[in-house]
Amino acid sequence: MSEDGIVSSLKYLFADFLDEEDSTPPSLPEGLPEGVAPIVSEGIHVLMDYQGASYARLYVERLQRFVDKGIAPATLGEMARLMTSRMAYEDAIRIAQLKLFEYRDSEGRMASREDKKFRFDELVDALPEIAADPILTVLDKIGWSHRRVSIPFSTKSRLGIRRLKIEAWLRRWRMFSIRYGEERRWVERWLHMIARSLVKQPAATAAVVDTATMVQGFGDAYRQGLADWHTVIDSLVKPTFDGVLTLADLAGAIAEARAAAMPDPRQASLKRAIAQIRARVTAPGASAAAE
Amino acid sequence: MDHSQLAQHASTAGALFASIFLVATSTMQTMIPLRLFSILTNLVLIATAIPSHNYLVIPVQLAMLVLNSYRLHQMLQLVRDVKRSVGGDLSMEWLKPFMTERKCAAGEMLFYKDEKAEDMLYIVSGRFRLVESGIELPVGAIVGELGMLSPSNVRTQSLECIEGGVILSVSYDQVEQLYVQNPAFGFYFLKLASARLFQNLDTLERRLAQQTAQVAEARIA
Repeated sequence: MSEDGIVSSLKYLFADFLDEEDSTPPSLPEGLPEGVAPIVSEGIHVLMDYQGASYARLYVERLQRFVDKGIAPATLGEMARLMTSRMAYEDAIRIAQLKLFEYRDSEGRMASREDKKFRFDELVDALPEIAADPILTVLDKIGWSHRRVSIPFSTKSRLGIRRLKIEAWLRRWRMFSIRYGEERRWVERWLHMIARSLVKQPAATAAVVDTATMVQGFGDAYRQGLADWHTVIDSLVKPTFDGVLTLADLAGAIAEARAAAMPDPRQASLKRAIAQIRARVTAPGASAAAE
Repeated sequence: MDHSQLAQHASTAGALFASIFLVATSTMQTMIPLRLFSILTNLVLIATAIPSHNYLVIPVQLAMLVLNSYRLHQMLQLVRDVKRSVGGDLSMEWLKPFMTERKCAAGEMLFYKDEKAEDMLYIVSGRFRLVESGIELPVGAIVGELGMLSPSNVRTQSLECIEGGVILSVSYDQVEQLYVQNPAFGFYFLKLASARLFQNLDTLERRLAQQTAQVAEARIA
């Protein structure tokens, strides 16, 4: 009996609890334009730390779809950078990881404490669906799902570091979480819009790529950005690609709508700006003027 | 030989049989024989517990007997249904007990073209459309069954919900588990997937022939 065989069998048995066996980073996508490779390399490195080799491979596969598809190298580079930041989305596990990296990189000299506010449902969303669903049901019933809780992330004490390590260890189950499913759907929708833009309005591709900067961080800012992004896509971008709305300058319209977006859950100013843009193109004589 | 001696002998013989079945169970490599031998072990342990008045063992073994019987029944039913499907309408309804339900709202995109495929879907109600080809899928349609076996593993079209409904989904990992646990299922699943692939090829060939004929007619006209 070879020891390697027994060890690999045990690793397979406890695969859900152990780190990913394959730690080889994926190769860069083929045919990558000059200047983009360092950005993609950095992305692979970040995602290897964030989740592991298979997740970094997913990043490469997603990018590969756009290589040699007529996308400008600068736009492709920006897309790679933004996709890295969206795929490495900020949840409690990520914040714990970053805190530990900071402590490790300073060789233990930079010990600090940060308190971050999360909603209960946001914390539970990071758990596997099978565990999160019953907890969310209970939280909803007692009306606590939107209640905020302050979580300390500290490297000032051994206990704090130990707790951060336990939180960072939970990344093994991140891929089964509700939040991961939502993030995955978001990234795919963004990529789909970029692909459609390349066909329908190539001049607007950079603006569509750049919309990813609307969705950042965690907590209220993240939720606001996400809601604004969906509003812009559903009201301007998708209707233009579907041929329902005739926007000759989609990039300009996106910029105008984004400028109007405010930190307002009702999105009053954003919706007003979008209504004005739509009214301009649907007004009699607008199409003639555009021609 | 009095009653207590008889009970003692019965209990020793039972323990011996149970141990043999237990060893046999642990040597099984696939799910159906494993469940069968587990059931036999449960029955022997229950029978042994009665004369030796070891009543605590009985409820535990009874619970395990029910569980083992239920799982065996599920497996046998699965093999029977897949086998029936291969010889019949090539339907994949047999997967329904292993699927989880999800509600979809109108306008929701279930997946996008070129996205990595990870699960197959079964349409229970509502209206769903493959965006690129414009084909509307009927209730009872399965989406993504061939993606599991394709090397590229990517969606070839986007799927949009055009009228709210319910879908069932099962991950490729779960189907793979069924495949590995049960060779009979694996064999019929491969037959079924190949048959569906050939059916698709046949439909495409017929469409191509129709189009070629139309082009030829147009040229003559």
